[in-house]
Amino acid sequence: MMPTAHRRLLFISLVILSLAGIAMATASGSVILEWKQWLMALSSPQSEHGELVWRLRMPRALAAWTVGALLSLSGCLMQVLLRNPLADPYILGVSGGASFATLLGMTLGVAAGMLPALAWTGSLVSIVIVFSLARGEGPWSGTRLLLTGVVTASGWAALISLLLTLGPDGSLRGMLFWLIGDLSYARVPIWAVTTLALIFVVCLGMARSLNVLAMGETTARLLGEPTQKLLWLVYLLASILTATAVSIAGNIGFVGLIVPHLMRLLVGSDHRTLLPAAALFGGLFLVLSDTLARTVLAPRQLPVGVVTALLGVPLFLLLLNRAKVRQ
Amino acid sequence: MTDLSCDGLDVRIAGINVVDNLELKLEPGQFWGLLGPNGIGKTTLLKCLSGISEPAAGRVLLEKRDISELPRRLLARHVGMLQQHTVYVFDSRVLQTALTGRHPHLGYWDREGPEDLQKAVDALQAVGLEGFSERSVTGLSGGEARRLAFATLLVQEPDILLLDEPTNHLDLRHQVQIMKMIREQTRECGRTALAALHDINLAARFCSHILMLFGDGEWCAGPGEDMLDESSLERLYRCPVEQVQSRNGPRYYPAG
Repeated sequence: MMPTAHRRLLFISLVILSLAGIAMATASGSVILEWKQWLMALSSPQSEHGELVWRLRMPRALAAWTVGALLSLSGCLMQVLLRNPLADPYILGVSGGASFATLLGMTLGVAAGMLPALAWTGSLVSIVIVFSLARGEGPWSGTRLLLTGVVTASGWAALISLLLTLGPDGSLRGMLFWLIGDLSYARVPIWAVTTLALIFVVCLGMARSLNVLAMGETTARLLGEPTQKLLWLVYLLASILTATAVSIAGNIGFVGLIVPHLMRLLVGSDHRTLLPAAALFGGLFLVLSDTLARTVLAPRQLPVGVVTALLGVPLFLLLLNRAKVRQ
Repeated sequence: MTDLSCDGLDVRIAGINVVDNLELKLEPGQFWGLLGPNGIGKTTLLKCLSGISEPAAGRVLLEKRDISELPRRLLARHVGMLQQHTVYVFDSRVLQTALTGRHPHLGYWDREGPEDLQKAVDALQAVGLEGFSERSVTGLSGGEARRLAFATLLVQEPDILLLDEPTNHLDLRHQVQIMKMIREQTRECGRTALAALHDINLAARFCSHILMLFGDGEWCAGPGEDMLDESSLERLYRCPVEQVQSRNGPRYYPAG
């Protein structure tokens, strides 16, 4: 258990680090701003640097932060929902539906501005399919949900491969970037931030219930949780979080799997600490990853999904190893 | 304190009625031992009594109210169950796990207060897990995990304690200790306990009442001294049983 003072310190540091990360993201890129230039740019949005910071880099950094927080929160929920530490936001096929719809749109030459709406529609279709098939007649079954979701995801994957095979060569690169996860054209719509904020508050309210749920469905029921309702609610919330993230930035991998684990190692498994920590750190992590993706090979830009994995893998292995040593 | 009763309860496993028309009233202060061979429906019966499973027929009543109509949170304040197995998938601290026993007593946005913390600390001490507070639950031995699960039940403070083989994985000393604690809960706190047991002698020594399930739907229930004898145990376990007189009363062993 974490003392309240430690928790507060942790959250404050993560907020400050997030702000610093966003500031750094807006200062770096193919044109690097010294910190005086950066202050000037901040105060005069009309100037050349001001345009760069306010119109290009800031929206992208905010989008990165939001997507990171969405995916990390969704990952925490999915892991409790399926009681499986390997679960990630994409495991139940939400992103598959989104990817198929988006890629179909790209193939048919739909305007780029319409793609997020298509992604959302695809996710929704997938959520409804999995929900109605897995629900069935009987009581909740985590195994049935997992199997339904994984098989649905495989179905989407096959359709996606088909599109990639048949699609015009010219759009292949864009499709690939989208599938890996890319923030180049990402903007952060107000409804995405609202979704994140609302679901975050709901999750905090049921954080203690999630703690109990993590101990198993029967245990949770014996401790007074109406688990049938709770589990479906968690499924829906996690799916909506994933759908929102994917519609902004495509399938950014690894964040939703690794950030919840990292935070479990660092702050423990009490969801009242874990959820806010994961959301804040997830945002920070993706902002930093995206900044690297823009700068490492500048002026070339990498899809951020590549960087999340390249950064996340060693970081995670290091912490896992240290946790083992401590025990 | 409240009492729990069964009203014409049928328990069915794979289409076979293993308990037929059970009429039973568990009253405050009683410590019931639930005896019967493997796979006879002891666990299923406990699950029905705790509201986890639906009985095939009949009702379970808390006071006079059907438990299937009670909100789960309210039910969990009155009825608690120690499950036969506890598996921890996600790592957690021992103290944090014991504190989950307070869950049904707290509202959505409540945090555990100093009183709740004290209850958890006391319960851990009672089961001999003091000094384990910050240990990880995944690193506990079978017996330690068992005692932690029992401590969590104590922290939950239900009026009715349902226990599925509470002495599983425990060494001799801890078996006696946990049975003593259950008896203390019934005698001194006015709670009610029903424990599925395989050790007839622990039942003979600690339980005030015995419920036997024979598997063909038949059952019998009553005060311990009336229920336990060679012939009923032989019929129950389909195995010759020998009664030996100890200083503390009769004890039973497989004959031969």
